[in-house]
Amino acid sequence: MKRAIVVILQIAGLYGFYLIGTWIQHLFHLLIPGSIIGMILLFLLLITNIIKEEWLGQGGKFLLAHLPLLFVPATVGVIEYISLFQGQGVLSIVDVIVSTIIVMVLSGAIGQWRARKETASPLGNKVSRGMEG
Amino acid sequence: MGNALLFIFVTVVIYYMMKKVYARFYTPLLSPIVTTTLIIVVILLTVHLPYEVYMEGGKWIGGLLGPAVVALAFPLYQYRQTLKRFFWPVVQAVLAGTVVGILSGALFAYVFHLNQKLFLSLLPKSVTSPVAMDIAKAIGGIPTLAAVYVMIAGIFGAIFGPSLLRMFNITHPLGVGIGLGSASHGIGTVKALEIGKEEAAISSIAMTLSAVFAALLCPFFVAVLL
Repeated sequence: MKRAIVVILQIAGLYGFYLIGTWIQHLFHLLIPGSIIGMILLFLLLITNIIKEEWLGQGGKFLLAHLPLLFVPATVGVIEYISLFQGQGVLSIVDVIVSTIIVMVLSGAIGQWRARKETASPLGNKVSRGMEG
Repeated sequence: MGNALLFIFVTVVIYYMMKKVYARFYTPLLSPIVTTTLIIVVILLTVHLPYEVYMEGGKWIGGLLGPAVVALAFPLYQYRQTLKRFFWPVVQAVLAGTVVGILSGALFAYVFHLNQKLFLSLLPKSVTSPVAMDIAKAIGGIPTLAAVYVMIAGIFGAIFGPSLLRMFNITHPLGVGIGLGSASHGIGTVKALEIGKEEAAISSIAMTLSAVFAALLCPFFVAVLL
């Protein structure tokens, strides 16, 4: 019971960050979502030790553990757009799939190439060791 | 009010049942989000219940998405050592992925003559649903459709990603993690966890960074392209 109250209070705290983010978004007429602004803000406060992880961590863990449930109501909304997927709409799915392949291969290849370059740098004596731990 | 509570209850119960099913069969096609959505859609169509009525309850669940996105700061914080160590490789690779994802999505939309609503909704497909929905809203797309495209990108990547990466000789944990996280967000990260802890940590970082990059870049590219 005590844990539940802690989780609820911490979620309220995270909601506060979300509201502040949204407020900043509107104040400066930004197109960046308020939620992302709130996230960056929280991250900055965490790495500068102004906010301690345990103050909001349990609430955060709870929300992330149940994330798929949170967007069920949104995906159910597809019911309103079923007609859009008939005809040319099907091509939008092809678009998404082809673009996903490109993103995965390209970002993966660059990541691997840069990681190998890093570990094989002239000063490094750890060639071919890769990542430990 | 009674209705709203009923819809919340039904959604939560179906979701947890579908989670059990997924734990049993463990294939991305049976991701709880997919099966739960399908079941609720079928129920609504069968009993002729309009979506807006369902949303009287649904909006209370969806309302938690904002703070959930804020909570993505935690995985990023927990993996800060990994992030620090591989900062430039990760940032460069994820940034390249984000840019190419937006541009290729736009290119094919142009080639296929997709209408603008679809185009603006599929642009943020590579990032986690709640952020993609916010981006879609900001650039004039349809948040719900954005969430559906995100699911397609996630499920496709989780099913075919590992063999795709192998085909291109991408085997380094950094490459695998970045590829899965940048293209297939949370669903890709779950897949990465099956491959290894290192891959999953990197994937989690990549997914969060790509959400930030997409939020910054989508509005910019839309302004330039339209």
